[in-house]
Amino acid sequence: MVESSTLQALGSRRLTDLSRPTPEVGVRPTSFDRLFDEEYARVAAIARRVLGDPDAAEDVAQEVFLDLHRRFGDNPGAKAPAWARTAAAHTALNMIRSNRRRTLREERFAPEPSLANDPEASVETAETTREVRAALTRIPRRQAVVLALRYSGMSYAEVASALGIGVNGVGTRLRRAEARLRKEVGDASV
Amino acid sequence: MHPSDGTLRRSLDEPVAVDRARREHIATCARCADRVRSMSANSAWVEAMLTSSDPVVDLPSARARLAGNELATLDGVPAQRSARAVRSRRSWATRVAAGVAVASAASVVLVATGGAQDFLSLFQPSQLAPVPVTAADVRSLAGLASYGTVTGGSSIGFIPEPDAAAAGSAAGLGAPVAANLPEGTAAPKFAVVSGGVVTFTFSADLARAMAARAGGQLPAMPAGLDGSTLSVSIAPAVVVSYGVDPATLLNGGSVPSGAAFLVVDTRTPTVSSTGVTARQLEDYLLSVPGIPAGVASEIRAIGNPSQTIPVPIPIDLASGSSVSINGARGLLIGDSTGLGSAVIWQHNGVVYAIAGTLTTTEILGIARSTH
Repeated sequence: MVESSTLQALGSRRLTDLSRPTPEVGVRPTSFDRLFDEEYARVAAIARRVLGDPDAAEDVAQEVFLDLHRRFGDNPGAKAPAWARTAAAHTALNMIRSNRRRTLREERFAPEPSLANDPEASVETAETTREVRAALTRIPRRQAVVLALRYSGMSYAEVASALGIGVNGVGTRLRRAEARLRKEVGDASV
Repeated sequence: MHPSDGTLRRSLDEPVAVDRARREHIATCARCADRVRSMSANSAWVEAMLTSSDPVVDLPSARARLAGNELATLDGVPAQRSARAVRSRRSWATRVAAGVAVASAASVVLVATGGAQDFLSLFQPSQLAPVPVTAADVRSLAGLASYGTVTGGSSIGFIPEPDAAAAGSAAGLGAPVAANLPEGTAAPKFAVVSGGVVTFTFSADLARAMAARAGGQLPAMPAGLDGSTLSVSIAPAVVVSYGVDPATLLNGGSVPSGAAFLVVDTRTPTVSSTGVTARQLEDYLLSVPGIPAGVASEIRAIGNPSQTIPVPIPIDLASGSSVSINGARGLLIGDSTGLGSAVIWQHNGVVYAIAGTLTTTEILGIARSTH
């Protein structure tokens, strides 16, 4: 027995679009498909900066795209990339706050390889990393988000677009966020 | 005039974005230089703290996982979903997870028929109406989670098999054999959709809470209703695919050009209940205040085979019609364009279905040669 979702997979996607001029056979990628291909890695990278853990970052990416599709459907529109990136930061920060994956993260917050030969340094680094990421949830959310976006490699223009602010405001917010995070962690040199 | 902090900060990361005059000022102003040094130190510290390599992303796996997540979220999700959301989810989840959707196919027949005796009587065009309920929705009985506990929906799996004999053996049912295939049809591939039992256990407490949220009270409850169960037993199904690999669809791949279709058979699913009859349970649930329309459709789909067939035909899809398949009455869905058609019929306790990028003439030709 095949139900119509399978039928849909095999062709009725076209049937639902009979009014559109789509003469070729086969399923064409939707805007959502393209968005997924183009943005998934970026979304995971943003979450990685916040969480440190690649697996948790992928969990966030999955959550973001599930939510994105629920909200916007197959044709999410031009603003969807910015929405996804910002959502990645928020979702990752929420994940820390809710401690949903605390145990896993603690296991996976591995020290950098260069420190792995020094157990004391490794432990210290891991603890610092945990503390920094916890501090991200204590500073103003918009500051934490700008850090996540910028330190995932986004340009000022991209950050501005994602946050819906002017590009000139990115530097200001970033500067404040960096100083606040460092102060929050209690770095003596600040 | 000194540049703003924002400009100073940007001059660290994107110096060319700062105009020449400001760059020259920053380079020669002691005050600004101090501020830039402070910002640079903070930036370096944050960089060191947050540094981590980008995750290595396997897009096909990520896409397949997303499809799985999409289906999984249907389990236990509160029922208040808009029709738009249901349709939207269907268009994504069922397309990329078509292989998984095959696994839920039997449940649609099940909920549409409720039993072999009722099956044939359902095939009346007047009873075929688009219902915004997907097979995955029905399988998980997601909307019912607000009124009780649904178990077993995720146990149905899709298992590739090397040939017809292996598939038939695994399913306990002979693989469907279609003779009148269109010229150039690709060699078949075989798979089995494992069976399973989906059970709903009614909870008076949950129903009472739902009614209260809707501002009403539960109607008088028949004796034995609380804790009663409704079980849908789905038999294994054999899936024979031509020109398309369901696993590819599962991973988000596109249907190749040319004829691509599935031929499936499975034994008629059955519905059983404890405590009260399925019909009593359904009638009662439908009387609970605040029950969303979508959930009502799902409930009707479970135990009442005399009403609408909840085949989730896209709203603007061509109509269904009653057809004869070697003496059995069947339901034909589709049109003459070849963009997509499906036919469902039952013979000797076995439900057959064919769906694919075929014209109705082609698909009927295949159906009438299938045994």
